[in-house]
Amino acid sequence: MALAALILVAPSPVAHAHEVLHSIERGKAIAVKAFFADGEVLAYSEYQVFSPADPRIPYQKGRTDRSGYLAFVPDVPGAWRVKVTDATGHGLDVVVDVAAVGAQGPSSGHPAGQGVVASWAFAVRPILGVGVIAALFALLVLLYRRRRSAK
Amino acid sequence: MHIPDGFLAPTITLPAYAISAPLWVWAARKHFGPNQVEALPAVGALTAVAFVLQTIMIPVPGGTSTHLIGAALLALAQGPLVAFVCESLVLLVQALFFGAGGITALGVNALAMGLLGPLCAWLVFRGLRRASPRLAALLAAYLGMQVSTLAVALTLGLQHHLSPAIFPTPFPVMIAAMMLPSLTVAGIVEGLYTMLALRLLERVRGKAAS
Repeated sequence: MALAALILVAPSPVAHAHEVLHSIERGKAIAVKAFFADGEVLAYSEYQVFSPADPRIPYQKGRTDRSGYLAFVPDVPGAWRVKVTDATGHGLDVVVDVAAVGAQGPSSGHPAGQGVVASWAFAVRPILGVGVIAALFALLVLLYRRRRSAK
Repeated sequence: MHIPDGFLAPTITLPAYAISAPLWVWAARKHFGPNQVEALPAVGALTAVAFVLQTIMIPVPGGTSTHLIGAALLALAQGPLVAFVCESLVLLVQALFFGAGGITALGVNALAMGLLGPLCAWLVFRGLRRASPRLAALLAAYLGMQVSTLAVALTLGLQHHLSPAIFPTPFPVMIAAMMLPSLTVAGIVEGLYTMLALRLLERVRGKAAS
């Protein structure tokens, strides 16, 4: 009887194996926020994170939160690729340079093969774009008129 | 609507460039040569307007947004090949300076937004303009927008079919997310804009001619 009671009370090693513990480790994750040029966030969008150790199989997959954030904890330094896919075909493909394992933050982040889109760009974007296009057409017109007058 | 870099594999982007590149050269020689110098300021102005239109995000219920293309007006006013070159230029400027769309996806985006949509708009307008020029312009731009959106969606769907790792969103989810705003908001606004702007252009042309 006493033996049976002891078995029931004693903690089982099997039960121990299934117990899920946790530790809260602050400052290890890198957070990336995905947003459009007008400031609208890519909320609940699918994302993939690729480790520099294996650029083919995603290290992490999921969805951004309501505020457009995703977070990952890098285990190796190097260029981590973050891809966010909006269902409407828009998205983000950025490289986050991680300086050291468990780094406090990325040393830099930039869209793969493109320049950084800063929030201020939204305000000056139409003006800059119109300026570039106008300059191209003006150059073409000037060139043709000069050629014509040279003849 | 622009497909960014990294969302399409070279199996799709390279054939798109192979189709686009000769068309760019042909269209540029035909419509942007020294003989077209008088039309270039107007074409440049319409291209700049198309660029501005694409930066204005229209909020759509469901937590997303959409934008106009503005290429249908170029096609109706100047022809589909002019629209193709101008829209390609808009996409190039966006990719180079603002990180919208991408250089690798430029061929695909240009074909979808610069050629297929505007070509559809131009054909519809030519077919219906005798019955009602205003309604023809509205319908042409509306349908052009749907063709462009569908072309982008089909390309992304093909990419998902070929490799879900490169574009993970399944086709049924994506087609609904893309076509609903296009059918209910963007297409209508593009149609109204094209109809009104074309009318304004014709008035200006009429006054200039008289």
